Amino acid sequence: MSIIQIATLAIVALILGRLPKGRELALLAVSAFAVFWLQPNEPFVTLRFWLPVATLAIAVLAWALTSAPEARGWKQNWPAAAVLIGVILLMDLNRYFKLEQIYITGTPLLPLTLSGLAGIFVLASLLLRSQKTNRFWMLAAFIGIIVVFIFLKTPSLTKIVSDLAASRRGQTAGKVIAPLSWLGFSYIAFRLMHTIFDRQSGRLPALTLGEYVNYVIFFPSFIAGPIDRADRFVRELRAPLSLQNEDWIDAGTRFFVGLFKKFVLADMLAVISLNDLLVSQVKTAGWMWVFLYAYTFRIYFDFSGYTDMAIGVGRLMGIRLPENFAAPYLKPNLTQFWNSWHMTLTQWFRSYFFNPLTRVLRSGERPWPIWLVILVTQTSAMVLIGLWHGVTAGFVTWGLWHGLGLFFQNRWSELVRTRLPAWLQSRGGRVALNAVNIFLTFNFIALGWLFFTLSSPAVAWQAMLKLFGLS
Amino acid sequence: MNDSMFSVLEQYIASRILKQPNRKINPTESIISSGLIDSFSLVDLALFVEDTFGVRIDDSELNAQTFDTLTQLASLIETRQNK
Repeated sequence: MSIIQIATLAIVALILGRLPKGRELALLAVSAFAVFWLQPNEPFVTLRFWLPVATLAIAVLAWALTSAPEARGWKQNWPAAAVLIGVILLMDLNRYFKLEQIYITGTPLLPLTLSGLAGIFVLASLLLRSQKTNRFWMLAAFIGIIVVFIFLKTPSLTKIVSDLAASRRGQTAGKVIAPLSWLGFSYIAFRLMHTIFDRQSGRLPALTLGEYVNYVIFFPSFIAGPIDRADRFVRELRAPLSLQNEDWIDAGTRFFVGLFKKFVLADMLAVISLNDLLVSQVKTAGWMWVFLYAYTFRIYFDFSGYTDMAIGVGRLMGIRLPENFAAPYLKPNLTQFWNSWHMTLTQWFRSYFFNPLTRVLRSGERPWPIWLVILVTQTSAMVLIGLWHGVTAGFVTWGLWHGLGLFFQNRWSELVRTRLPAWLQSRGGRVALNAVNIFLTFNFIALGWLFFTLSSPAVAWQAMLKLFGLS
Repeated sequence: MNDSMFSVLEQYIASRILKQPNRKINPTESIISSGLIDSFSLVDLALFVEDTFGVRIDDSELNAQTFDTLTQLASLIETRQNK
């Protein structure tokens, strides 16, 4: 996302926050437009149109699948349906408007788009009527989301699409082919799955089409989170808009702090952040640590900067998004780090993977021993969080690093909890111990980033050896 | 807050989770966001609450936003018992 796009959306949010009424539909129109507008270049130009359409389509179909009967009426949902159809058609008509600065002009012919819309309409209608088989379709939707997710996150699979595009454009060899990327899908997928699970457990409130799609594609958090919960988001959306002066100041401050973190701090640190080339060139351990710390802070400022901007822009429209970071590098252990880093993603995995799995393994007639449950649940949850970032050996290793780290930390603290010497339990002793723990935790996390950012575990290992003067 | 409910919860956390039977827990002391109870022990706490007080705590509610102190946990239990 460019700084101009961010600034434009912030100004739009400022206007939306002052609307006397109609905020929900206006917000839906802006978010739907942003889905098209922000979609980057693709191997095939036409994907810049069809992927955003697919984003809106899966949101609408997931609503049809999960909506409560009392929220399905045509009367309450037609305005949102009209807004979504209107935005799709407007974007398609850019082949005639030719507004190249705003959007591509190579959109499909109108009859093709209309057929696509009719298809979505028919599927949604069938889902809205087929009450009895919804459980089957929910499972099918879950599996479908996971399959698409794995495809998009596996570099060797997305490369097939890029290679196909390259072979089609044989004549214009040398032209760079953009990688396949479905903007926002990582976050959208997890919002959709959350609503599917909560619908099955009866915890999802009745949501209209407008509320549901607004939740899924809310433009401030569309690309980089946070991953809100539908019930929480809709409470905010339904609450009457009553922004005071201090709210504007809070929202503005938060937005500019985020802008500064992302475009000044993170982008400056990017210049000296560790990468494959530096690993092969740098000779001294000292410089390796400098570059590693630069990356460590860069990724924090980059990601938390986006979150700050999302939260600030959301507040301009009277919608409070959940926090996603809480001083994660100042925590005395890994458990607290994961309670304060990308909190909404970890909370998602706790709610729908870690807690249910732990519950199963700890209850029943023959519960597993504690240490084994912790080993299995922590490592599997962290490997899944790694895979969420991409299906590569590096992300899996990063997940294992943290999963095993959490396991050993748990066992160690269990061992020493009742054995701390008296001098360490005094006030001074506790402060000193806390400082040492923060230092160790921070460096463990920093070393973990090697697997996250370098191209392979082998390069990360080479970097690790250099950091400790062993290479 | 119901005193007996509080002491049952306090005793369970102190003796079974923290392994420090004499540890006192303040009713307003944060137990999740402070890291006192980790995510694994939180599930054990939920299972204990369900067995002891007969109320269900959903997996998605095991976080500091839903309850972070014993007062909040007891109030959640009481609300569910009265439903």
